[in-house]
Amino acid sequence: MKIIKILQNHGLLILGLVLLAFLLFVTFIGPYLPIIDDSLEETVFIRDEEGTPIPPPFEPNTQDYILGSDHEGRDLLSLIVMGAKETLFIIVAITIIRYVMAIPLGYLAHKRFLGTHHILKWLNGFLSYVPTIIMVALLATLPPILFSDYRIYALVFLIAFVEVGRAGESIKVDLDEAASQEFIESGVVAGAKPFRIFRKYLWPFIYGKLIVYAITDIGKVMFLIGQLAFVGIFISQALIQVDAGVFEIRNDSISWPMLFLDAFRDLRMSIWIPFWSAFAMAFTILTFNILSQGVQNIFKRKDSHI
Amino acid sequence: MVWQITKQILIFCLILIGFILLLLLPREREIEMLGPMQFEADYPFTLELYQESIQDFVSYVKVEKGFGETTGGNSIWSESQRFLNRSLKIIIPAFILSMVVGILIGMLQIHWRNRKKGKVIAFFSWLFAAIPDFFLFISIQYLLIVLMRNGLPQFSIFGDEHWYNFIIPLVALMIFPIAHLVKFTVVSMENEMGQDYVRTAFSKGMTRLEAIKHMFWNSFGPLMNQSQMVMLYILSSLPIIEKVSNYNGAGYQLLESILANEEMRALALMIPFLFIMFIVVLTTQVLKHQFVPKDVTAK
Repeated sequence: MKIIKILQNHGLLILGLVLLAFLLFVTFIGPYLPIIDDSLEETVFIRDEEGTPIPPPFEPNTQDYILGSDHEGRDLLSLIVMGAKETLFIIVAITIIRYVMAIPLGYLAHKRFLGTHHILKWLNGFLSYVPTIIMVALLATLPPILFSDYRIYALVFLIAFVEVGRAGESIKVDLDEAASQEFIESGVVAGAKPFRIFRKYLWPFIYGKLIVYAITDIGKVMFLIGQLAFVGIFISQALIQVDAGVFEIRNDSISWPMLFLDAFRDLRMSIWIPFWSAFAMAFTILTFNILSQGVQNIFKRKDSHI
Repeated sequence: MVWQITKQILIFCLILIGFILLLLLPREREIEMLGPMQFEADYPFTLELYQESIQDFVSYVKVEKGFGETTGGNSIWSESQRFLNRSLKIIIPAFILSMVVGILIGMLQIHWRNRKKGKVIAFFSWLFAAIPDFFLFISIQYLLIVLMRNGLPQFSIFGDEHWYNFIIPLVALMIFPIAHLVKFTVVSMENEMGQDYVRTAFSKGMTRLEAIKHMFWNSFGPLMNQSQMVMLYILSSLPIIEKVSNYNGAGYQLLESILANEEMRALALMIPFLFIMFIVVLTTQVLKHQFVPKDVTAK
């Protein structure tokens, strides 16, 4: 009986955890499963029943290709499973960096330290006018970032940074709200220093929200990275000199956004490639959204007359 | 009210200037020849260059009295208007439909919240809020392709030549704002549920629907605040959806011009978007001023 009760109260959380467990299973155990080709072997052609060679990309359900193959004849399912680790690592890293910056900023803005609250407000206001993807496109194509040796880190930092204003602002609002409660004054009267006020009086009220924000942001980052890939901006790529004075951007990563490389053409010719890679992203986003909703429900207590 | 509008105009101008300054950051490339077959690409990034590019921009605008012409000889401004008209066909219906439909569904969900119907709505609004629109769009396309192979009459699902081409992008763009608004409506109505006036309304013998009507006007302010977010979302996703559907509109052209370092074109395409955002913000302010019960505005 108790289990049913828990299921009823925290159904979303449990669903989210199950999906997350599946995602982690695919990411870390997946590469060792027998149906996954972890060497990502390229196949030049396969033969159909009459023995006619067919060039890649192969359609789903031909021979061993459950989800089809990419342009090099690599099994798409294996590609997605093998690319999961890199993709998840990037989006989680971006989110962590964002909140590592946003929490102190939010706190300083709450304290109105050196006009931080104005800066945050402007950062946030600017982004509520200019779409994030356009901001990232503008900044990511700047030569110092585009051609830096540390381009991956620069872009990760950039994507984390563009929305730091939004994250910081919501932290600030939550802190302001918590600090306007009466019990804070009792702490002040008792002689608690700012750090203690933060640690013992404010933190217990905001950490739940912070967790929810961060989990939601993981999904948002995944979405943004997917969008950027359609535009042709990838996080993991390298610039190399291919010929005299000719530089080319080379992609040797297998993260999911990379599968959108030819998305424009693929949509017409071999739609399963963008479809399944977008599916993997959609699944990730769904997982983190359900999870954040589930976590939010834990912290939520509401009374009602209706 | 007048002060509010002036403030919004000021903010708009500052954001426009901010955007132009971002756009003008130096992006030139210099390739140096170090020796035979040895080249080095250099990307000077100094303050002087930045100043120079700003000065160039100002004098360009002064000389051309506007945005100037494309390499093809057409006026950039009229070209951008052509693309914009095409995009507006998606933007305006998407915005109005998602605001109206989103709030209505949200209220229905509150009305039915303890019944199965309400749970179903809740489930779908979560689901659709969590699905990226590009995936949705690709799924629709995939589905149509499969259906067409199995006998559905052929029609064009790419491009912008046919009158109906805007429908699939429109649907793909609308889903997330609707789901977001449903969620938001439910949350803000839930905040009202515990208020005393709701109990008073019931104790006076009002029906559930009438009580919900009261709650709606009290949460109208926060709901209107979401309009900016909805428009921002539509404008952010527009370039991608236009690109994957080959619908050659302003959003797609804007991203292309940014990636190709065509500052003037990017600016000519971006200004209307910023202006649309500005109109939305302004309309929201006016609507809130007109309709929100006066004693709640301060909250």
